[in-house]
Amino acid sequence: MLMFALRRILVSIPVLIGITLILFIMLNVVPGDPVALMMKEHASADVIERVRQQMHLDDPLLTRYLSFLWDALHGDLGKSIKLNRPVTDLILKAFPNTLMLAVSAALVSWIVGIPVGILSAVRRDSFLDRFFMGFSLLGVSMPIFWSALLLQYVFAMKLRLLPVSGFYGWQYMILPAIVLGWSSAGVIARLMRSSLLEVMRLDYIRTARAKGLRETGVITRHALKNALIPVVTIMAIQVAGLLSGAVITEAIFSIPGVGRITISAISSRDMPLLQGAVLFATVLVILGNLVADILYSVLDPRIRAQMRKEA
Amino acid sequence: MTSPSAPLPADAIEALEEASFLRDTVRAFRKNRMAMVGLAFVLLLVLGAVFAPWISPHDPYRVALDEQLLPASTTYWLGTDNFGRDVLTRILYGARISLVVGIVPSLISLMIGTMMGILSGYLGGRTDFVVMRLADMMIAFPSLLLAMVVMYTLGANLLNIFIALALVGWASVARVVRSQTLALREKEFIEAARANGTARITVMLRHIFPNVVPTLIVLFTLAIPEAIMWESSLSFLGVGVQPPEASWGLLVAKGKEYMFQAPAVAIAPGVAILLTVLAFNFIGDGLRDALDPSMKD
Amino acid sequence: MTTRTKLLLASGLASLMLMSPAFAENMLRVSYSEDPKTADVQMTTDAYTLPLNIFDRLVESETTGPGQSALVPGLAESWEVSEDGLTYTFHLRAGVKFHDGADLTADDVVYTFDRMLNPATKALNTDILTFIAGAEERLDGAADSVSGLKALDDLTVQITLTKPYAAFLALLASPGASIYDRDFTEAAGDQFGLTPETTNGTGPFILRDYTLNDSQMLEANDDYWRGRAKLDRLLVRVVSDSETLRLLFETDELDVFDLDYAPTQTPYFYGSDQWKGQVRSGPRVGIYYYAINQLKEPFGDARVRKAFQMAIDRQTILDKNFYGKGKLEDGVMPRGLACYTPAEAIEYNPAKARELLAEAGYPDGVEINLQQVSSWSTKWSDMNQIIQAQVAEAGFKANIVTTDEAAFLAARKTGEAEAYTQVWSADFNDPDNFFYTFFSESGTKVRGYNNEDPEVFAAIEEGRGMTDPAARCKLYQDLTARIVGTDAAWVPLFSLDHSYVVQPRVKNFVVPWNGWSDMSYYKVEVE
Repeated sequence: MLMFALRRILVSIPVLIGITLILFIMLNVVPGDPVALMMKEHASADVIERVRQQMHLDDPLLTRYLSFLWDALHGDLGKSIKLNRPVTDLILKAFPNTLMLAVSAALVSWIVGIPVGILSAVRRDSFLDRFFMGFSLLGVSMPIFWSALLLQYVFAMKLRLLPVSGFYGWQYMILPAIVLGWSSAGVIARLMRSSLLEVMRLDYIRTARAKGLRETGVITRHALKNALIPVVTIMAIQVAGLLSGAVITEAIFSIPGVGRITISAISSRDMPLLQGAVLFATVLVILGNLVADILYSVLDPRIRAQMRKEA
Repeated sequence: MTSPSAPLPADAIEALEEASFLRDTVRAFRKNRMAMVGLAFVLLLVLGAVFAPWISPHDPYRVALDEQLLPASTTYWLGTDNFGRDVLTRILYGARISLVVGIVPSLISLMIGTMMGILSGYLGGRTDFVVMRLADMMIAFPSLLLAMVVMYTLGANLLNIFIALALVGWASVARVVRSQTLALREKEFIEAARANGTARITVMLRHIFPNVVPTLIVLFTLAIPEAIMWESSLSFLGVGVQPPEASWGLLVAKGKEYMFQAPAVAIAPGVAILLTVLAFNFIGDGLRDALDPSMKD
Repeated sequence: MTTRTKLLLASGLASLMLMSPAFAENMLRVSYSEDPKTADVQMTTDAYTLPLNIFDRLVESETTGPGQSALVPGLAESWEVSEDGLTYTFHLRAGVKFHDGADLTADDVVYTFDRMLNPATKALNTDILTFIAGAEERLDGAADSVSGLKALDDLTVQITLTKPYAAFLALLASPGASIYDRDFTEAAGDQFGLTPETTNGTGPFILRDYTLNDSQMLEANDDYWRGRAKLDRLLVRVVSDSETLRLLFETDELDVFDLDYAPTQTPYFYGSDQWKGQVRSGPRVGIYYYAINQLKEPFGDARVRKAFQMAIDRQTILDKNFYGKGKLEDGVMPRGLACYTPAEAIEYNPAKARELLAEAGYPDGVEINLQQVSSWSTKWSDMNQIIQAQVAEAGFKANIVTTDEAAFLAARKTGEAEAYTQVWSADFNDPDNFFYTFFSESGTKVRGYNNEDPEVFAAIEEGRGMTDPAARCKLYQDLTARIVGTDAAWVPLFSLDHSYVVQPRVKNFVVPWNGWSDMSYYKVEVE
């Protein structure tokens, strides 16, 4: 078990280094002078030249990459040009908001997705099943920025039931969580359905049925436990995905999170900040995958058995 | 796959099998009602986009400041935007961008992904390692962020959207194709071809590639709606297609400013995105079920 | 539905980790579309609300009427300027205290300006001090102090310039010249202005809370030397979305609605019975213009430029795209600027424009490019689309070219820039801020006009040093006639009004002379 986890982590390292390299190159070969771009019309040419030198922008790319990597290893992602604050601080301060959004959205998706998936599987090919599956596809097909707008319009502008945007209390989290959770609820529902259907075809369920257990009993006591494995394992990946998918949601609902930082870094051409924010999100995704893999191996007896053999 | 006792030449059998496979697929697909609805919608959309100048009596770029934000009428079926332009016409022209953005980058990422996947799966070893680590990296990048970084670097325009989306998409194609290639490698007919001394490139092109085509078709139809979604998101955030072009994401972003006065300006293009993505997803689902019944559930 | 109940429960759990806002009685709640990023005014060129409320300047620009201002004593009680216009002696007010209790001294003033010019500070507002003797040397690192800055005694500061500069006092009244405390600021280092703990000024408000991308809370300074502000607190919220802004205002979560951030709401507020009485509007000292590059054909020919001026129906743009809230401008200086007098009106006449084009050798019209930058606000692409349609009537076949900002700046540098539209707002109340920026020898290249006119260059240099106000204004009026009239090197469009809507409980809300969103809230009251 430990060996497996260790090996997975080791494999992630070159991936991570590769990512920093790709990211660094992409952001540092930007045509034009990043300083001139960052400052607006009112800054003079002299000022621009001075800031350029102070940022060591004229050093060779490799030197800059290595020092970036070295600093990043020490938790130092550099300093935001525009905000004049350490990038790490900015991200860590914004992260709790993003995390809360992602977790609430994940909750929404599980609360909606899991029951829908189970019902669909149980009533397979019924009208309900088709309706739910069509509905989940609808969730996946709806652009987040548009559904957000629609919900804002109905619940905040017309009915005035919920606040439009900002982040001052739990009411403010409802619309963003629904918007973001909605799209992944469809994914969860479909996964839950197919996973349950697969389990229900297995021998031990047939045995349980043959023993005369009632269908609900079979499902709740036997099938569900195993059918939930893939759903649980995907949760880690899902939360990581939601963290980065929060970009649009945060922008629309004015939530001061990492996504908002990313967008403002792009619009103010704040390269160190953008670099840091994207790297941070990427590390989260890698971590999410890692956790999912390890979780899966722990939960799924087949993989556990295989690992024992390998060890 | 093989029928050793048949006196027919192998080519003929293959042709026959292909024909019946195709017939089965078409039949299965046609039985899927949602998929057919999706297909009909997409066909209509393609027609609408291609023939937009002949269908719509309005110019999508004409500025008529006296006709700002008019409500829906018989002249302007969905009303007008802040420049007095017909919203429906702008959506029709927007469909051109969405369809092109749906298809072109998906094709590019499909080509790259297939090549990488087959090479990786068939050659194995160091090639496999390098390609898969590369794919791991691209997959670890959150797609929207990666696309945004590319747009930041290259600048916001349509061509760069193609590049960004192709870069985002190829890795997952490569993974699927590789796993299929791995499975195919062990099949008798491939082993036979290899034993005959057929060149590796020929095996890959003649034997492996045709067998992953059904999967590719499914991946393609599923990649289109995804690309449309990414493009509209990028354009919505202002790092995609630029005005005065009429991209759906851009139309929503601009219309949003007039949400109080004329909600249709923002909502209508969103409906267009929703319906188009939905239609492609239905087609994709239908195709997957038809081409490979085992993939269902 | 049960799902919904569960949802509410789930969100309720989340709320335990959040605090709800506590609203004080006597608090003004305003909003900005972007985070100010810092209160350190030396480190920003666009976010002045915090500096204007937390710090004071030696001299202040006071709004005396709509679009009018006067320079009044601030931290400097009085000052003298030497005959030759080179030496300024400021007498500081006694007994002024910083928020941390320290006394204001002449040394603090010297320190503040030296800090700005110290290359280690990496300040962005250095332009306002470059006229001081020794400033360039300090900036280049050749000197450790600024020779033109001296504290004569505890309350007297002497500033020497390299050459007379008529707008120097106006510069010292700009937000960038806010005064800091030496000991505190030195101790705070590069953290100065980033948190309440590392911010200290003499101003009417004290920064109490700063949540990035969310809000800043300021509290009245009880010991303010001009007397305590009427407000107890000032809450500045960051709201980027215009619909949200309107809803926040209409649900009484904001006291001031800045129509700059939501121009599309203009007809609503002006038309609403509830709100039209609550609109506060004033001119903005800023000019919308179309920049044309004379190195780019066909704009090398003054007749073509003249035709372009005449082909734009500015009134319609103003009326339809900006709801008629503004005034056409025909000069380089917008209304409200010192020395402003109306220039000769540019007429909208597409037929005449067509004739001019024919005269210039383009009887069948001519192709031109209108530039826009993808990262700019859509306001500019809106303008381009309208102008593209308008100038077509005069025979201009305009293509809209979108590039990213890097390509745009690079093109301006090499003289390849296309025509583009932008706005320039006064940084300080002096014509030099406009003429030098666009038509000085360096400005005309940097901004992509390439109006190579040695006489204009010389006149602009001369104007900077002139001490006779009347003669100086005359010079700028003549320059306007030459640049806009004769040479048609500049296409002035209009200046806009800046409108705000305030809740009925807000009293004494005055639109600042320059029409900025950034203003001092010292005199505002709430009931």
